[in-house]
Amino acid sequence: MITIDNVSKWYGKIQVLKNCSADVAKGEVVVVCGPSGSGKSTLIKCVNALEPFQEGTITVDGVSVGDPKTNLPKVRARIGMVFQHFELFPHISVKRNLTLAQIKVLGRDPKSAAEKGMKLLERVGLGAHADKYPGQLSGGQQQRVAIARALAMDPIAMLFDEPTSALDPEMINEVLDVMVALAKEGMTMIVVTHEMGFARKVANRVVFMDKGEIVEDAPTAEFFGKPRSERAQLFLSKILQH
Amino acid sequence: MFSNIDWNVIIRSLPYLFFDGMRFTIMLTLMATAGGVVIGTLLAMARLSNIPGLSHIAGAYVNLIRSMPLVLVIFWFYFLVPYIGQWLTGASRPIQVGAFLSALVTFTLFEAAYFCEIMRAGIQSIPRGQVQAAQALGMSYWTGMAEIILPQAFRNMLPVLLTQTIILFQDTSLVYVISVTDFLGAASKIAQRDGRLVEMYLFAAIVYFVISLAASYAVRHLQNRIAIIR
Amino acid sequence: MNYNWNWGIFFQLSPDGTYTYLQLLLFGAGWTLATALLAWAIALSVGTVIGMIRTSPIPWLVSLGNAYVELFRNIPLLVQMFLWYFVLPEVMPQAIGDWLKQSSNASFYNAVICLGLYTSARVAEQVKAGILSLRSGQRMAGLAMGLTLPQTYRYVLLPMAFRIILPPLSSEFLNIIKNSSVALTIGLIELTAAARSMAEFSFQVFEAFTGATVIYIIINIVVVSGMRWLERRVAVPGFISMGQPAVAH
Repeated sequence: MITIDNVSKWYGKIQVLKNCSADVAKGEVVVVCGPSGSGKSTLIKCVNALEPFQEGTITVDGVSVGDPKTNLPKVRARIGMVFQHFELFPHISVKRNLTLAQIKVLGRDPKSAAEKGMKLLERVGLGAHADKYPGQLSGGQQQRVAIARALAMDPIAMLFDEPTSALDPEMINEVLDVMVALAKEGMTMIVVTHEMGFARKVANRVVFMDKGEIVEDAPTAEFFGKPRSERAQLFLSKILQH
Repeated sequence: MFSNIDWNVIIRSLPYLFFDGMRFTIMLTLMATAGGVVIGTLLAMARLSNIPGLSHIAGAYVNLIRSMPLVLVIFWFYFLVPYIGQWLTGASRPIQVGAFLSALVTFTLFEAAYFCEIMRAGIQSIPRGQVQAAQALGMSYWTGMAEIILPQAFRNMLPVLLTQTIILFQDTSLVYVISVTDFLGAASKIAQRDGRLVEMYLFAAIVYFVISLAASYAVRHLQNRIAIIR
Repeated sequence: MNYNWNWGIFFQLSPDGTYTYLQLLLFGAGWTLATALLAWAIALSVGTVIGMIRTSPIPWLVSLGNAYVELFRNIPLLVQMFLWYFVLPEVMPQAIGDWLKQSSNASFYNAVICLGLYTSARVAEQVKAGILSLRSGQRMAGLAMGLTLPQTYRYVLLPMAFRIILPPLSSEFLNIIKNSSVALTIGLIELTAAARSMAEFSFQVFEAFTGATVIYIIINIVVVSGMRWLERRVAVPGFISMGQPAVAH
């Protein structure tokens, strides 16, 4: 479904991604982890072309994302993204956050857009908050709305960029529960995260990045049981001490 | 000192001062603000765009206007607008443009440069994540701008935009240099006709003062209310 | 376009017979700069004082400062010029009024004082903002060392405040140069007035105003470069964007 092939990216003279390659099949859940500055957020933002890349190709469901002829808004509408800082639109209500893109991008009529939005809102447990404004919600609630907003577009895959890193500890689980449910329903997901418990529960594969390179790419059990690279071992030992 | 003051001249001329003079001033202020904000926002978007050359052209225009005194810009457009009109309509001679239209074109295009910088600061103050979230949902540049970025930028910059409008209100008095009858021009005409400079200019100063002060208090009040909502 | 372009007009003699049009424009520019510099001296000195008293702990001083700023900010500059030039001589005792009206450079002095005080209100705003942007601990540290309040302002607060407000202050300086053009209404033959008179006498309207525009642009560029040099020269090492410490606490 998603193919990342030899992708390299430079910011000016600094190379932030070095020959990254990975495949994500339909229904797979891939967790990307690594120390800060490893390029994992940058890589995931390349998948829906929010960040440009200079070398390599990324293909989503047969469409090459880096091709200048590609209609990017169309591709992006098919991929859902959840951001570290939620990025709900603060000046409109929760309901409008859910329906805006459905109406303006997919051309759905307001009534069915609202119905879909409400259904998803119920699904993430926030049906009662439709008319509130993002500023009135807690971080965990905002992030769940953000997930619903992305799902409202009926995406073929979902990208998560450190979805719980900005949350207070007590709210992390309510968001992870939604993501676990989503994974169990068969959604194709790429998740950049430090939450190893989540990885162990639902991830099919774990990709470990360091200094812009993909250092290890292994099935979950293998990654946690017997990581092949020294850097991955070091990282795991530090992070699992929590 | 004040023995020779004739306050009646003010009372007698109130209708002329307000229905002719102040009406001109307020209409010019409001219309130039509306036009200036629209053009200024487009200029700001141009300055921030990636289209080659566009940001340079917009930047050059804004920098040019901002380095010129308003009086000079008024003279420029006073002489230029008839020629532009001739070019636009294909007439054989420069066409006569009314005083109001000339002043309106001048102030709209002048203020657009200032509103541009205000809106540019406003747009740049919106976190990049908002832009990315809009893009991630598949919104095009114009949809993202119209629905997400500009409404927030506008809301954030509203106090500054309103303050700039108050400045514009005061700047309209400069149409005096092309002998246009705004509020100050009306006061001046009466002052010279009746020889009552002290009364008329003092009165004009007081009126401008009261209106500007009231408006700036209203803006401050609005600013406090917005701050609470955040 | 029925307009006869003649860029050589700058080098032709003006009707007074002695100077070329270009020289007249340059004289005008000279008056512009003279007015601006003298007015700026007034604006800086008065504005700093007003800005300081607006941040002082004495309530009636603060109100006085605020009233001053509101007065000069809410009346258009042109109206203020008329008040100084036309109204003031009339309300003064007869003798002073006559002397004011007859002095040969009346428009110049009026323009300088009017522009200076008008701008001093805006400078006061900037100075107040600069002082208030400093952490309150700075004032306390100064007082704790035994400095009096005026000394604290002089040695601790104002030096940093001025560095912080250097960018908006340089904007104000550019504004004063542009605002000097308003004085043409009271007879000062500064640059814009010189251009208008050139336009009237030579009928080469666009050349005249282009000349003035170019000169204003050059003045702008010189001032902006000068301000940038000044900013670099007085920059405090380790402070990025003036006032924000380089290391986040």
